Amino acid sequence: MILKTFLIFLVGLLGYSEWLLGTSYLQRPIILGPLVGLVLGDLQSGIIMGATLELAMIGAVSIGAYDPPDLVSGSIIGISLAIETHAAPGAALTLGIPIAAIMQALGLATGQPLMLAFIHRCDSAAEKGNTKALTRNMLIAGYIQDWPGLVFIPLAFYFGSSTVAKLLNIIPQFVQDGMNVAAGLLPLLGFAMLAQMMMNKKVIAFFFFGFFLVAYGKISTTGVAIFAVIMAAIMYVFFDRDDKSQKGKDVKPSVEQESDGFDEF
Amino acid sequence: MVSMSFNIKPKYDKKINKSDLVKLFWRSIPYEHSWNYERMGNVGFTWAIMPILKKLYPQKDKFIHALKRNLELYNMTPYIVTLPLGISVAMEEANASNEDFDETSISAVKLALMGPLSGIGDSFFWGTLRVLATGIGTTLALKGSILGPILFFLVFNVPHYIMRYYGTFLGYSLGSNVINNVENSGMMDKITKYASMIGMMVVGAMTQEMVSVNFITKIGVGKSASTVQSLLDGIFPGIATLALFGVTYWMLKKKLNPLLIMFIILVVSIAAAYFKILGA
Repeated sequence: MILKTFLIFLVGLLGYSEWLLGTSYLQRPIILGPLVGLVLGDLQSGIIMGATLELAMIGAVSIGAYDPPDLVSGSIIGISLAIETHAAPGAALTLGIPIAAIMQALGLATGQPLMLAFIHRCDSAAEKGNTKALTRNMLIAGYIQDWPGLVFIPLAFYFGSSTVAKLLNIIPQFVQDGMNVAAGLLPLLGFAMLAQMMMNKKVIAFFFFGFFLVAYGKISTTGVAIFAVIMAAIMYVFFDRDDKSQKGKDVKPSVEQESDGFDEF
Repeated sequence: MVSMSFNIKPKYDKKINKSDLVKLFWRSIPYEHSWNYERMGNVGFTWAIMPILKKLYPQKDKFIHALKRNLELYNMTPYIVTLPLGISVAMEEANASNEDFDETSISAVKLALMGPLSGIGDSFFWGTLRVLATGIGTTLALKGSILGPILFFLVFNVPHYIMRYYGTFLGYSLGSNVINNVENSGMMDKITKYASMIGMMVVGAMTQEMVSVNFITKIGVGKSASTVQSLLDGIFPGIATLALFGVTYWMLKKKLNPLLIMFIILVVSIAAAYFKILGA
């Protein structure tokens, strides 16, 4: 049992290495399921339960700042307990999805602030030009945000999920809510730092232009970017192409090259 | 005079050579490991380009300056992050070898690409390719076949790594081509101007799109009750986000440490959730 628990922990570690290993979808239930099955000696059930969970969680991907339920702990705990109790594939779902939701809340409430502390340590490392410290803090930052999963996956497997679910509920609801609020507000700091670097009197209007295009027009950022490129092209053609003496030949292509780049990708 | 702008075999006639770019590709892989709510992919981007910065800026103070410049907020679909990385390398190279190079153009171009590339990258990889891989994978896996997970992994990752690898070289040659053609014609100023324009619009758009503020306090009683948020949006949409952005910007202007501002945001969020002022 100790060996199995350790192997389950390793599967969890692999799942949380998703982002270190190129965001290659190692953390999807369809991949983790068979690995859990292999550890518990029932590959077949692992594959089928993984696919069942995969279909149920097809919408759970992080696009932009949306934080989906924690797939790694949900899949591993759900599938391992379902296999251990010889339950039907659907049981992996009922066991796994609540865990995924609790774990995501816990990660947000405790993992993210810890991670941000290490991100700021990367800043101080850069301040000193210390590349080793920057690398170290980068590595720690990524794993520390997932500490709840790394700790609770083996515990839940060893003690059963209900014990762990009780333990996890000690975080007060308002702290969890508060961290959800913070997740929405924290990008403000990033954008403000960026604006501070970029903003000057010449371009400040464009910040508001982009902002209100989204606020009023409900256009996506990509949509705004398309309008921005078109606007830049119009402004260039009408106000800026002042070098007719050069026949505009060695100058023009460079801007077109840029727009080519946008078109092709 | 103008050579092909779309070339995955760049010329290496300055300090950067092919093995630097191959290394850049490998170092782009953990790009999302340090993705955070505050500045998103900033550390991942910086970590990938770090050895190249060190090579280009042997003087320590310039290296540190370049690191800090790269640690500003950045966001990009991970699978194609090598493209803006390659473009950045070409621009950093030009900046390192030319005293007159306007280094704000590096950030301007990076930011201008952030919106369009991410949008296209997200929809292609997460929308199209992942759905295709899931469709093929789950159909087989539900029957218990081990080919299901294997095909799921390959259908997604073979195109992913091909694009990630060649994106590095494409980005670099695109960047150096543009720079070579415009460096002496005064065109660089214009590119910087337009790129910062586009960049600022993208930053404005992302601020409204990615920041979420929701004042949930109810005003009034019974059926006529409405939340503060809907009242605010009635004045003009985005007013709450813009006001809080202004406050954060002001705190930075007052030279408050970003770490302190981060803690202020965390504490305010939890307090506001406790008193049911703000909700997710």
